[in-house]
Amino acid sequence: MTARAWRPVGFFVLMMGFGLRLDSDWQLAAWGLLAAGAVGVGLGSTDSRAAFVPPRGGR
Amino acid sequence: MTVVPEDSGEPADALIGPRVRWWYRGVIAPLEDALVGWRIHPDALTWAQLVVSILAGAAFWTGCIFLAGWLTILAGTLDVLDGGVARRNGVAGPRGALVDSIVDRWAEFATFVGLGAYFRDSWVLLPVAVAAFGSQMVSYTRARAEGLGIEMRTGGTQRPERYVLLGFGAWMSALVAHLACGLGGGPTQFVLGLAVTLLAGLSVWTAVDRARAAVEALGRGGTT
Repeated sequence: MTARAWRPVGFFVLMMGFGLRLDSDWQLAAWGLLAAGAVGVGLGSTDSRAAFVPPRGGR
Repeated sequence: MTVVPEDSGEPADALIGPRVRWWYRGVIAPLEDALVGWRIHPDALTWAQLVVSILAGAAFWTGCIFLAGWLTILAGTLDVLDGGVARRNGVAGPRGALVDSIVDRWAEFATFVGLGAYFRDSWVLLPVAVAAFGSQMVSYTRARAEGLGIEMRTGGTQRPERYVLLGFGAWMSALVAHLACGLGGGPTQFVLGLAVTLLAGLSVWTAVDRARAAVEALGRGGTT
């Protein structure tokens, strides 16, 4: 699994952690997911290629 | 880096334009590469989408709105991934397309059941019912038209738009409710209510527009 693949995975895990943190009593699980998500996003960000789509024609 | 192709194959009148669609595909492309590399069967992603949608429905039902929003977005992402993985693994075919279409309908149903249960004592229950029916009719109209040999490429509010509207609507609603809970005497989810109402209107509009286009095309004997 490449570094960039961790970026979306980490982001989703991070958001799930926020969700549990806001909406539930499972605070330990929430902090676990927040930590795991942060690590995932950190791993994904080691590859600095930007995730955006250039305008048509590659300008 | 992902570049938008000149003809991306998406409906010209889709609310989410090709640049946003291709940006998102670019974001999840490395994940798709990993799934292809691991030889994950696309059916596993399709069934995972159903499970996540049921969890999203359960989260809506229990009032975990932020979580439900992100589970809805995750279900939509799995829906995008299964098709891409199937094509790249060389296992795309009519069987997979049929299973995917059927599971998609059940997945949407599960999410709307949860939404309906959450809004059971509110006027928003009516827009939830209309949105659920409209969403099914958007897909049914296309399937019926294609069964009659009409290529259906119109449709402003398709599944990606529904996932985004519902997912981000829930996400925004939960944030607004948490920030404003001290002002209104308690948390309310009026942003989600507005998003569902908008989704209901757009889904019905898309279903009617598709039906009109299909009837016109049948009259001409051509495509939409």
